[in-house]
Amino acid sequence: MIQMFHVFKMFGKDLEALVDVDLHIHKGEMVFLAGPNGAGKSTLLRLIFCDELPTSGQILVNGRNIVRMKPRMVPHLRRTLGIVYQEFKLLRDRTIEENLALVARVVGMTALQTQHKVAQLLTLVGLSHKAQMLPYKLSSGEQQRVAMARALMNDPLILLADEPTGNLDAELAADVLRLLFEVNAQGTTVLVATHNLKFAEEAGCRTVFLKQGRIVGERQRVNQPVGPVQHSSPIRHAWHPADD
Amino acid sequence: MIEKLKYLLTHALINLVRAGWGGLASIASIAVSFVIIGIFILVIQHFNALIAEWQEQFQVSVFLDDQITPLQLDMLKGRIEKEAAVKTFTFTSKVEALANFRRELKGQESLLEGLGDNPLPASFQLKIREGYQSSEALKTLSSFLSRLEGVEDIQYGQEWVERMSRVARLIRLLGTIIGSVLTLGSAMIVSNTIRLAVYARAQEIEIMRLVGATKAYIRAPFLVEGMLQGSLGAALALGVLFAAYRFVAPTFNLVSSLFPTVAGQGFLESSMMAGLVGGGAAVGALGSSLAVSRFLKM
Repeated sequence: MIQMFHVFKMFGKDLEALVDVDLHIHKGEMVFLAGPNGAGKSTLLRLIFCDELPTSGQILVNGRNIVRMKPRMVPHLRRTLGIVYQEFKLLRDRTIEENLALVARVVGMTALQTQHKVAQLLTLVGLSHKAQMLPYKLSSGEQQRVAMARALMNDPLILLADEPTGNLDAELAADVLRLLFEVNAQGTTVLVATHNLKFAEEAGCRTVFLKQGRIVGERQRVNQPVGPVQHSSPIRHAWHPADD
Repeated sequence: MIEKLKYLLTHALINLVRAGWGGLASIASIAVSFVIIGIFILVIQHFNALIAEWQEQFQVSVFLDDQITPLQLDMLKGRIEKEAAVKTFTFTSKVEALANFRRELKGQESLLEGLGDNPLPASFQLKIREGYQSSEALKTLSSFLSRLEGVEDIQYGQEWVERMSRVARLIRLLGTIIGSVLTLGSAMIVSNTIRLAVYARAQEIEIMRLVGATKAYIRAPFLVEGMLQGSLGAALALGVLFAAYRFVAPTFNLVSSLFPTVAGQGFLESSMMAGLVGGGAAVGALGSSLAVSRFLKM
């Protein structure tokens, strides 16, 4: 589903954000990208949704080489992705329902389809009763659930979550994790970037460790929470926060 | 298509209301700019009307020889009639000239006593077509007429005509320069104001971009909103100008003291008003489109 071959990303002449990254994520897999702040996790995600282009290397998303993709095709790629941010990125002056409907309009849903989809997703994240509220009146955990619902509005093939629990306490983080598993269980490939190693460990999913732009280790799934993922390989080298 | 337009307009109006004071500030700044441009256009329009009125009143006097025969007079009339530069003309006989002079000297007719024979010559007063009122064209006409038999003298206030031509040229030149500077300045103010409003919605643009909206899709509502703001601002400016023109200026006798001959002149022509509203919409759309472009890197 996501394949990266010898990907380098430089900012300016000196700053190496990603160095020779090779990464293969299979369809239906749920993968954590763990590493300290500045390791290149967000850059890697931004390359996948074409917010940045790699300095060199090739990236295939759902079989399409996005490095050679024409700019006018980028919106079409993004419509197959869902993106969740640490800071939620919800529009403060729109209700929860309107925040979700924004995506529906972009992907061309009818009013009726939008209404059904919004209701379905708000039920999934347990916020049906708050559809008409403005985001800032919700708790951080609720806002993150809204952000996840918005990311799922277009039934994405891949869900990219950048530090989805960064602003949440342990209990709310567990809620978000449960939600991610549920999404993954429905067949969506999920890639989660986090600096919280414990969070990744608890998830028990395949975890790729990044440090200073390089993949420094990988730990395979320790249990099988969801999905038909069959990919396995030995741990190359585990990154630990103490290394940082 | 109609559905899409309806959606865009509704969405633009909702956004305008959402923007609250920010949206009002944009419209107000556009209105202020257009009031300044409108005042300038009004002044130029009045100057042009004034010049046109002067041109309308302008005439060339062809004074005739006292010895002119009726046949020569008829021939002269025929030649003047055929002259392309002459719009209309009237004939004043010696007797009429004296009567007119006497009327002008009302109350001081005694001055005419002792004049003996009527010293005033008969004359033709020629109204000149607009394209022939330059000093060069008048010189050519004058030299042609003066060569005709029975013509004694030609008068058309050469100095006055040259001064008028210079003033008209100067006003047109100044009009072009000041008009261009004002339009450019207003366009910059308007586009900066709209840019601030668009910056306030940077997150909305970013989210739309990241959920797969095309550039055109993102730009369209901002474009319509900019057009709405621009045309509303220009319409507001016209309203303010009209009120000032109709109610405030006469109170202070402004129009009549500045332009005594054209005090009755109407407000801006409807085509000019439509042009201003259209200009407002264009400036609004352009400013908005440029501002949004900064957020549409890919």
